[in-house]
Order: sequence, then structure tokens, then C-alpha cells
Amino acid sequence: MIRFESVEYVYPNGVKALDGIDLEIGDGEVVAIMGENGAGKTTLIKHLNGLLKPVKGRVLIDGVDTRNATVASLSRKVGIVFQNPDDMFFSESVWEEVAFALRNFGYDEEIVRRRVENAINFMDLAGYADKSPFTLSGGEKKRLALAIVLAWSPDIIALDEPTIGQDMLQKEKLLQVIKLLNSQGKTVIISSHDVEFIADLEPRVILMKRGKVIADEDAEEIFLNEELLRSCNLLPPQLITLSKELDFIGVRPKLYSPRELAAEIVARLRR
Amino acid sequence: MATLLQGLQFYPGDSFIHRLDPRAKLLISTTFLLITLIYVEVTVTTIIVAAEALLAAMGGVVRRWIKTVYGSIPFIAAVFLVNYLVRMLMPGQPPTQVILYESFAAAYRLVALLASFSIFFLTTTPEEIGMTLTKLRIPYTYVFAFISAIRFTPVLAEELQTIMDSQRSRGLELDKGNPLTRLKRYIPILVPLIVNVLRRSYELAEAMEVKCFGASKKRTYLKELKLRPKDLAVIFLTLASIAISIYFKFINPIKIP
Repeated sequence: MIRFESVEYVYPNGVKALDGIDLEIGDGEVVAIMGENGAGKTTLIKHLNGLLKPVKGRVLIDGVDTRNATVASLSRKVGIVFQNPDDMFFSESVWEEVAFALRNFGYDEEIVRRRVENAINFMDLAGYADKSPFTLSGGEKKRLALAIVLAWSPDIIALDEPTIGQDMLQKEKLLQVIKLLNSQGKTVIISSHDVEFIADLEPRVILMKRGKVIADEDAEEIFLNEELLRSCNLLPPQLITLSKELDFIGVRPKLYSPRELAAEIVARLRR
Repeated sequence: MATLLQGLQFYPGDSFIHRLDPRAKLLISTTFLLITLIYVEVTVTTIIVAAEALLAAMGGVVRRWIKTVYGSIPFIAAVFLVNYLVRMLMPGQPPTQVILYESFAAAYRLVALLASFSIFFLTTTPEEIGMTLTKLRIPYTYVFAFISAIRFTPVLAEELQTIMDSQRSRGLELDKGNPLTRLKRYIPILVPLIVNVLRRSYELAEAMEVKCFGASKKRTYLKELKLRPKDLAVIFLTLASIAISIYFKFINPIKIP
């Protein structure tokens, strides 16, 4: 369980990135944090494992105040996958890269071996174990970054802009992974402004603007509110816009899956 | 370290100091440098630091200027320590009080030096620095390399922070263990940093080639530097103060407390 209690954060250069955040994220929830660039999404995520500590208020992870714990100890519980994988690779092989964190956390070499193999297989990187991380493609790098975090199996997984620069296939794969992790009881937090991707996931959406939470609802509720989205420089997902356009034949605006919308259109036309 | 880098970065501003010709500003900083090199006395260094504070105030950059000094504390401490140790080990050593005073004076002079160039960098755009260097007949290729170095320092500092965040999230603890193992812990920080720097320099090189960098031998500039009366007045004042300093040091030495 994650709790933010009137959290404020000000960067050394004076920019107030979080301005009174009150949040509660329960175990096993999937939450998307949305908002334009500079809204405070990444700053919020960096508070989850204590990389940043609140200037005012406090952040509790399973009851532990982040100000009283080290980043290393919090990271075992909260795994953060950062936006740019190039900021983390340094090892000679993909295998070593995944093993790094496990060794830092003090696992036995035998467990390290098993977990690395599991994580690499899980993220479809089995053929790359001995390759240098620097030779991977953009999509493979993103997958490796996720494999690194999944290897130590944290209860909470936070993904910062996971879909930037990814093709449809990678996004599809990522969607499946998130759903699978959630079915295993993991809490997944995604920061993104990729409306279509989040619409496919249908999570709880926390909308941020200038360091404040301005809405916290189901994805459908948020995506139907075009005015709200536009105020955050976001557009509704295409299927919502389409369902609104089909109002004249009696289609009710809703966050449909493509198949549901097709069935709805057919049903309305037959009537 | 990051704070020291911040102190060398230009921040947009509009003040008497900002509007001064960069050559005049460079001359001011160089004058401070010369005077601090000529005189070892704490009194003179204090006068220099006070003059710098006045300039920083006129430029409205006092807080950033103090930050630079604050960020350079490790270097200043190192100078103090080395001075102290060397003087202690020298044969026929004077009393400890004198050694302490002399080491302090040396460290204090470094403060004055750093602080004087900090004012120059805080109030001069990279373009102006570039133009100044070209006026000094330095080939543009080198000038460009220098400006890029200044321009990319803040980017680099930010990237260093991101890399450290990434690796700490993977359980890397930088301040654990003895100095040797600690040094080893910096490998996961330095490798991504160097790789990213190399990648960026290739990208920059490509972008420059696309824009035909170096295609014409003679460069022209949109803005030309021109000395106005107030710049000349400043230059006259600084040259005069150098002359006075030299006079009282070498030609007609006076005793300074």
C-alpha cells in the first residue's frame, strides 16, 4: 500500500514539482498517472523508492516513511523502470546486466542464476543473454530494462513512460506483461501520456497538472471528459471520439474495445 | 560538484554587468586574477572578494555566485590541506600559527579566483564568450569546441543525476564500504555516462556536418562586438587598478597589514 500525505516537492532550482499530493494506491491496483510534460509524473514516481524525499508531508510504503529508509531497501519493494534504458546499461552482457541488482540485494549465486534466466525468458530475451546490452534495438533495450526490475520481483512496479518510441508490437507485449503482473497480485504504476495505450489497459487514472492531482477516476470516466483531457494537452482515445460521433444512431459514449463497439454499431443499425 | 558546475552556467538577465562588453568583463576577471596572484595578503584578497560581491550584486547573481563558492569548498579545503602539510614538512618550519595563516591565505585566494570567473560565466552568454575568443584570434573550430563544452555541462550534470537515480534504484549503494570498493561502485555510473557522451558527440558531429560546419573559411557574425563609452571606462578603470597594484608591489612597496 502506497500513501502520499499532502506531499510537496521543490527542486533545488526552485521549481515546485509536487504541490500537495494526497493519494492512496492499494495492493494489486493498476494505476496510470497521466498529464502533460512537466506535470510532475516522474517526480511523483521518484518518491516511491525514496530517490526524492518530500519537502513537506510524507510518503508511506507499506507503512514505512520513505524519509527513514534507504533507497536500496525501498527498491526491493518498489521497482522503477526509467524512461531511457541507456541511462542504466554498463555490463558486458544482458545476463550480467540483469544479475547486477540481484547481487546488490544479496541473493545467493544459485538464486541469482535462476531469477536471471526466468526474467530473460519472460521478456523474450533468451537469445540475447550473452550479447552486449549496447547492441540491442530500442525495443529490446526497453524489454531488458523491464526484465532487470522483474528479476527481483518487487511488489510494486513503476514504469516511467514505457511506450515512448515503441512500435505497436512492443506496446502489445507490454500490455500483456502488465496484465500478467497484475494477475499475480503486483501493483503496477504507469506514467504516460499515451492515451490509446492506457485506454487498452482501462486502469484507474490519476490526472496531474502543475504538481497537483486534478482528477482520480476510472479510465472511462476520465476519457469521456474531453474538456478535462484538453486542459492537460491530451486528446480522448479514438474509440471514445468515434462512439461520441455515433450518437445519432443511438450508440452510448463509452470506453469500448474495438469488438464491443463493432457489435454495438451492428446492434443499433439492426434496430 | 554539481553546484560548482551550476555556478559556471549562464542565466539570462539584464543588468549593467550583463550588458557590458564581454571583453571588458573578461578583463575585469583577469584583473582580479592578476591582483590575487601578485598579493598574498589576506587584506588585499578581502578587498578583491568585496569588489566581486559588489559586481555580483550589480549583476543580480549574488545567490548563484555564493553557490559557486559553496560548491568549490572541496577544492578549497584540498588547497588548504596540501599547503598546510607541505609547510609542516618543510625544514626550519615557522610557528604553527604562521603556517595556518599562510595556508588560509592560499585557500582564500583560490576563493577569490573562482569567484571572479564565476561572475564572468554567470553573466556572459556562450555566444558572447565565443565572440570574445574569436576576437582574440583563436580559430573558430577551437572556439566552437569550447562553447559546446560550456553549453553541455548542465546537460551532463542532469544526465549524471538520472543515471545515479537509475542505478540506486537497482540497489547500488554509493556510500558503503571502504574507499577502494567505493571507487568500484562508480563503474555503473561512469560507463553509461561516457557511452552517452560519445553517442551525443557523434550526433552533434552529424548535425554540424548537415549544417556545413567549416565549409567557408571566413565566418561572419550576426552580432558584432563593439566597445561603447561605458565599456571603455570600465577597461580604463581595470587597467588603472592593475597599474596601481604593480606600483605598490614592485616599484614602491608598501607594508600591508
